[in-house]
Amino acid sequence: MIKNKMNIFLRKFTSKIITGNKPTFRACSSDVPQFDMENPFEKEKQECLLCKYNIEVDYKNVKLLSQFQSPYTGRIYGKHITGLCTKQQEIVEKEIVKAQSAGLMATYLKEPCYLKDPRLFDVEKPIRPHRF
Amino acid sequence: MITYELLMLLRSVPKPELKTILKRTANAIFDKGGFIRKLENLGTREMPYKTSAHGVVYDRASYFLYEFNVPPSSIDKLFDEYGRDIDIIRRRIYKKKEAETFECTLHDELQPPPYRKNVQDLIAEARKLDKPKFKYNTGLDYYPFQK
Ligand SMILES: [Zn+2]
Repeated sequence: MIKNKMNIFLRKFTSKIITGNKPTFRACSSDVPQFDMENPFEKEKQECLLCKYNIEVDYKNVKLLSQFQSPYTGRIYGKHITGLCTKQQEIVEKEIVKAQSAGLMATYLKEPCYLKDPRLFDVEKPIRPHRF
Repeated sequence: MITYELLMLLRSVPKPELKTILKRTANAIFDKGGFIRKLENLGTREMPYKTSAHGVVYDRASYFLYEFNVPPSSIDKLFDEYGRDIDIIRRRIYKKKEAETFECTLHDELQPPPYRKNVQDLIAEARKLDKPKFKYNTGLDYYPFQK
């Protein structure tokens, strides 16, 4: 390993002397591949739903907030289910509490008018396993 | 200057009466030396939960949203004044939210634990509690004597 690195270094050094400090392409005698490119297997950066579409969460937007609420108990789903980043989840939770306190949103159930809204996430497929 | 939002649930009453209620509540803000930026009617509908106010149980309310500025010291007085108004079922005063920009950290959170930043911070915090190790200062990377 170290020997290979030394070889590469020496070759670079000598080629610089010969070509007068001008990096040139030339055939590699050794089998050691030279990788200057960045990681080709790096995954695409994932963003949560609210960050991706730049949605402003507000306590008056009850239709949006109720999508993060369980229809059975009215409780807020955790971030392992909603798939939001920590900051967005925190904002959503705060705004839901504000809306419920202001009398805009139900606390122990999801209001029947929002029950047929499209699902933003699958409750049965959390990112991480449930605590219970 | 802080902009406040006041969400009011009013008794559902006919229009002329509603007008006087709104005038009264708006005047309360003006009396405190404030001004109103916006007044929005959010409609009359069934409340998500029934509310008892001033000895009467309501399940229907008219929702109104005020956006206003008053000196912060008079917010308590304003809130108290609305609490004594029998036409107001429920009221909440919130600060108006300003748009904040932040970077989405979901990608970092989905990494395996040792790659997550918060886990790395925890490890660094725990390393601080490690007992100090004696350094021999011999310049050698091994211990020259028999142990
Ligand atoms: Zn996010």
